[in-house]
Amino acid sequence: MFSAGFKYFIGLTLLSVVALIMSIVVLDQVALAGTALSMLIVASALLTGLLVVTRDGDTQRPQSASTSEVPGQSMWPLVASIGAVFLVVGLVTSSVVFFGGVVVLIAALAEWMVQSWSERASSDAGYNSVVRKRLLNPIEFPVLAALGLGVVIFSFSRIMLSVDRSTGASLFIVFGALVIIGGTLFAIKPDIKRSLGAAICVFGALGIVAGGIAGSSFGLREELVKARSEGHFSHPECGAERSKYFDKNATGTLSLRSSINATIEFVNGQLTARVVGFSKPQKSITVPRSTPTNIIFRNLETDEFRLVADLGEKSDTGTYGDTEKILVCTQMTVAGGEQELTLQIEKPSSSGYSYNLTVAGVEGQRIEVVVP
Amino acid sequence: MTHSAWHIRLQTFLTSVRRMFAHKPKALVGTLAGSLVVGSCARNASQDTWQPKGPNAEIIDNLQQPIFAVAGIVGLIVAAAVVYCVIKFKDRGQPIPEQTHGKPALEITLTIIPALILAVVAVFTFGVIFKLAKTDDTEMIINVTGQQWWWEYDYPVQTELGIVQPIITSGQLVMPVGTKVLLRITSRDVIHSYWIPALNGKRDAVPGRVQTLRLEADEPGIYAGQCTEFCGLSHANMRMETIALSKEDFATWVANQQSKYVAPAEETLAKQGESVFLNQCVRCHQVNGLTRADGTPAIAAPDESVWSGAAPNLTHLMSRNTFAGAMFDLVSKQCRDEVWHATSDVFGAKYLAGVKEECLNQKDLRAWLRNAPAVKPMYSNPTQLEATGGKYRGMPYLALSEDDINKLVAYLLTLK
Repeated sequence: MFSAGFKYFIGLTLLSVVALIMSIVVLDQVALAGTALSMLIVASALLTGLLVVTRDGDTQRPQSASTSEVPGQSMWPLVASIGAVFLVVGLVTSSVVFFGGVVVLIAALAEWMVQSWSERASSDAGYNSVVRKRLLNPIEFPVLAALGLGVVIFSFSRIMLSVDRSTGASLFIVFGALVIIGGTLFAIKPDIKRSLGAAICVFGALGIVAGGIAGSSFGLREELVKARSEGHFSHPECGAERSKYFDKNATGTLSLRSSINATIEFVNGQLTARVVGFSKPQKSITVPRSTPTNIIFRNLETDEFRLVADLGEKSDTGTYGDTEKILVCTQMTVAGGEQELTLQIEKPSSSGYSYNLTVAGVEGQRIEVVVP
Repeated sequence: MTHSAWHIRLQTFLTSVRRMFAHKPKALVGTLAGSLVVGSCARNASQDTWQPKGPNAEIIDNLQQPIFAVAGIVGLIVAAAVVYCVIKFKDRGQPIPEQTHGKPALEITLTIIPALILAVVAVFTFGVIFKLAKTDDTEMIINVTGQQWWWEYDYPVQTELGIVQPIITSGQLVMPVGTKVLLRITSRDVIHSYWIPALNGKRDAVPGRVQTLRLEADEPGIYAGQCTEFCGLSHANMRMETIALSKEDFATWVANQQSKYVAPAEETLAKQGESVFLNQCVRCHQVNGLTRADGTPAIAAPDESVWSGAAPNLTHLMSRNTFAGAMFDLVSKQCRDEVWHATSDVFGAKYLAGVKEECLNQKDLRAWLRNAPAVKPMYSNPTQLEATGGKYRGMPYLALSEDDINKLVAYLLTLK
């Protein structure tokens, strides 16, 4: 007779073929679905073939036993119904609830099916339990671990966002040290009781979750609230500073510094551009049209300055059809400091507009921005 | 046929498959190995990674050849050991041997040997990484911008190379031989990856970031490439070519790219095509120097219609050999073969001749103008554009009449 594994995978293969045919008939664009289903067909067909050859890898197949007649208790119908309720409620509330319901419903139905099948695998309840675990544990454990880690990480982020910066740094050091100490203890004492190890992990996780709940109830720390209300560090204004709450070291990240179009330096009253590949300082930079392009302004003077980018004009939507200049600029940059600026220009230089970079309050210094 | 009859037939088939695996393994392995060998003997493979045509690709090749050999030997040893164990210790009902734990000498040896191999490989690999990351010896800069599904090249002003005003082109990157060219690569929409196998490795084009890649070609010729980061529906059709010209030929190319726009003569089919272009194409495609009837410059506004905010600049379209993201040849197969297979000394002249009317690939160009999404998969159906706020990804169907297409082809032929 056919093995159980063979039946499962041949069923999956045929179902995938049917789904592929249906997707070709129903969908206009089948590129993604077609690729995914084709890969599933190939993978499941391969596994089917392997199972035929290896007979499920079962060299000592037990004699088929009579099955248990009495089904056990199951919580999955309850979970499935909760998922269905979320699904229906999500239809009229939010897509997040809807898709959450779909996930819960599918997971519960899958668990329910496997449980029902495993209960009838033999008359031995212990064997049935092992069969169920062998099938589902490789899925359940990673999913539960990911969910658990997600909750812990999210809780930790709530703690870090609620405490001030110095406390946050201290907490980070303490938590990190505790993790290293715990890991070291487990490593040098491998014979430690599993229950003790599990208890330490559970209490640690619960502590972080409790801290996260407390952090959420306290809310974000003051400067983050302030920054969010002001547009979260965007500060598009080129006038006087509105707030002290901006990140003066925004360009401190390596990822940004390593991938900029140019560094604009202001030193000795001269404005020059350093462009990767050009050995000498430049008086112009080239920016592709309609492309977000990052530059860094480096103020090497002794006073505070800001870089202003004149990016053309846009039509005023008002009654008189006037045009309005598009200006973007950095914050006031401290002596020796750096600020990042993103340019995006929609029209080429051949449209007749002269795009340029200047330093506010400084005459006669400009970098031409060429848009091919 | 009854259910049981099907059942028996299926079982018979599966049994025969199982027997084939069991009794004809040599035939199976031989067939597979033969297929691999035959597949690896492809001629005229323009994107062969094992045939470097420039110093940067040679640096990579000099690293990958010995590493491939070492990895191959290690792989063969492992495979042989696995096959030996599978055959030798196959389950024949024999009792399970005594289980032991720990062979310190063996474990240390098997840890140290791979670690040493990897350490040696790492030393040379880091050396190559640093060599390929050099930018201080750059002799020429080209900005490369990827978008769905074509590449744009712009040449900043570099007076020492004769580039006194920015040059912009697409599909084919043109550069002089024996020159250290630095590409500054970015993207307008999603992540792409730039790869000309004969000249260097890959470099991702990431929106908001400028990444560099060195290119240098030893000989004049065409070097083919392909976007190597899945970037959407027509990723497979996002090709590119690098054209290496002698320095004299490159100077000629630069001079042509900087030449002023010449409007078609009055009362010609091409002049009528210019009107069609102004009414239809200039919404997205720029032709530098083209003016409207009132004398104002015709400035394209692709940002209003195209999600990436750009469409290929067609100013000197007929100086290229490809169009539509280098998916199609702009010249007929015979004319293209003449360029591709030209010897180094005449290659430049043949390429610089551009596209003559008798060489134009009318079939593909007309099909493209007739209905672009029908010949290159693109998101053109309005119902598919919700995510982009109604903007197109790729060129839409323009409902041009055959008369308009005739005029446009005549006009495009003037864009030398």
